[in-house]
Amino acid sequence: MASITLSGVTKVFGNSRVLNTTNLEVADGEFLTLVGPSGCGKSTTLRIIAGLENQTTVNVMIAGKKVNDLRPSRRNLAMVFQSYALYPHLTVRQNLEIPLKLRDLSFAERIPLIWSCVPGAREKVDKIGKVVNEIAATLKIEHLLDRKPGQLSGGQRQRVALGRAMVRKPAAFLMDEPLSNLDAGLRVHMRAELAGLHRSLKTTFIYVTHDQAEALTMSDRMAVMIDGDILQVGAPNDVYNDPKNIRVAEFVGSPKINILPGRTDPSGVLSCLNVNLSRRLRESVAGDVSIGLRPEHLSLQKKNAENCFLGRLTYKENLGSDVFLYVTINDEAHQVIARATPFEGHDVAIGDDVRLYLVPDKIIVFSADGNRLQLV
Amino acid sequence: MTNSRTHIAFVAPAIILMLVILIFPVFVAATLSFTDYSLGNKTFNWVSWENYEALLKRSSYKKMFSASLTYVFIVVPFSVVLGLGSALLLSSLRFGSEIYKTIFFLPVMATLLAMAIAWEFTVDPIIGVANATLKSGCEVKWFYSLMTGSWRGGEPLDSWYGLGCVEGMPNWLGDRKLALGTISFIGVWQAFGFNMVLYLAGLTAVPRELYNAAQMDGADTAWKRFRLVTWPMLGPSHVFVVTITSIRSFQVFDTVEALTQGGPSKATYVMVYAMFEKGIKQNLVGIGSAITIVFLAFVLILTLTQVYFVNRRVHYS
Repeated sequence: MASITLSGVTKVFGNSRVLNTTNLEVADGEFLTLVGPSGCGKSTTLRIIAGLENQTTVNVMIAGKKVNDLRPSRRNLAMVFQSYALYPHLTVRQNLEIPLKLRDLSFAERIPLIWSCVPGAREKVDKIGKVVNEIAATLKIEHLLDRKPGQLSGGQRQRVALGRAMVRKPAAFLMDEPLSNLDAGLRVHMRAELAGLHRSLKTTFIYVTHDQAEALTMSDRMAVMIDGDILQVGAPNDVYNDPKNIRVAEFVGSPKINILPGRTDPSGVLSCLNVNLSRRLRESVAGDVSIGLRPEHLSLQKKNAENCFLGRLTYKENLGSDVFLYVTINDEAHQVIARATPFEGHDVAIGDDVRLYLVPDKIIVFSADGNRLQLV
Repeated sequence: MTNSRTHIAFVAPAIILMLVILIFPVFVAATLSFTDYSLGNKTFNWVSWENYEALLKRSSYKKMFSASLTYVFIVVPFSVVLGLGSALLLSSLRFGSEIYKTIFFLPVMATLLAMAIAWEFTVDPIIGVANATLKSGCEVKWFYSLMTGSWRGGEPLDSWYGLGCVEGMPNWLGDRKLALGTISFIGVWQAFGFNMVLYLAGLTAVPRELYNAAQMDGADTAWKRFRLVTWPMLGPSHVFVVTITSIRSFQVFDTVEALTQGGPSKATYVMVYAMFEKGIKQNLVGIGSAITIVFLAFVLILTLTQVYFVNRRVHYS
């Protein structure tokens, strides 16, 4: 178990800078998710922590020790790869044994047939076998131990890859999109299982994903990375409800947050597409702003009331428990998505004129350059 | 479809072509190997297993098998190891690998006959560059002591180099003991570039993530990663490279024909050259066919071994 600190880490590939100055602190035993669109540098960050990639400048610390020049195997970390990266020519048992054998056995003790002549080797090998059996029991893969990875399903390979990471009892687990090769149902199931594993192991997890749902559901804290910058680090709830940047707001949440053009008058009162929101910015700046509205904060309204948009329903997305309504407003210049209950969604048909009520308390305002503006 | 015969018409061209072009000639050769037929004769006599007995008993054919097998056992290991080594080195280069690839592949592309003439001049005992270079080394003290072993207290004249400086350098193609080695050297020179390309192709198929996983698992030296990932993952390449090189080595002909004509005293009398000499030059079709059949048997064994390995051992998915 260990805390991990990145301070001032940057990474340059040739002429392109893939990682701007990055500072990140992961507490001991924490489940931290690095989330962002593909190509944002999250995998590079993970590989720098692992030591598979050299940082271009400054420091990586694990458990308070500088590890910049330490080889990956000496950092006492374990990694789970997207493709699982199991050794295809070895059985599951051998795959699980490899990290322990490479760490605990000497050169002579790893040679077939010869090892049994080395004094003390038998005890070490027996101990490795015991550890492997324990891990296999924890992950319920005992019946697969004699198979080769090629004979396993995606979910089973995933478990073996986890097992190979667990046998060494590392200081921290690094996971690079470990669920993205699984089918949808299994992915949701494995989310819960990984979270459970984290609770029982109480070890630091750093988890990289492009799927914001995985980040929201599993992590203690999530770090949103876009274009080589960590834009916001916080608990999933805080990041979702209180995004510091318009890009974070747009990335987190599905369906995407609605962004509408708004204005502040000289006294700082906000309006959005001619709807007066009767809210005021803390620091009044007159001019254009962007107003973010989560789909669940827009609702269908029967009667005319304040804070309402008039629009036309263009598409209904029925997810069973929710219905998402795609509505064009303001003479079809903008499209917004609103969440409705199945009951409400049933009442309206595509092409209908609808009235959407927005909850003024929930609006999130961003300045023209994308930074968050606080309301009074 | 069960009642129609159309399907036979569809497969007939392929089957007929295969029978006429591939199976029939082998069948003819097999038949002729039991006769004393000569090209141009109207008749022939059945001689039963006489030709095969001759292959086993006569000393010139014993030399033939020994020459062919020696050639194979020199060329295959050396060209495979060199091919793998150069492929590993090239794949680790960040730039410049294209140039090396082209250079190492040149001998494969060049006509071996033309190259053989170049080699003939190189290793010629009188005007050859090889011996001229060695000779000039006699004057260079450190080189002389290194080659003769006198730096560790050996007697210079006991070594081949010390003797060569006095009595003249070896005749690489004319000496009975050296000729096959020289021919094999040229064979390795010619074959390893091809193996390198095959191994390079194999190496590109090894997933990068496996090396990362190996690094994380504690394989912190290049040798450990090679043992854990590269070598086993190249399994299919190994089988293919070894088989192809063995078959091509059994087929060696043009260097022998151009440089030694099977000599001196049958030291380089390899199978295909013997086939050519008996069957074409001396018009002894019967014995030529017998050699051909034995040759085909060798190739068949190699191929079946390959098929066995490909199916059983080295495919992991």
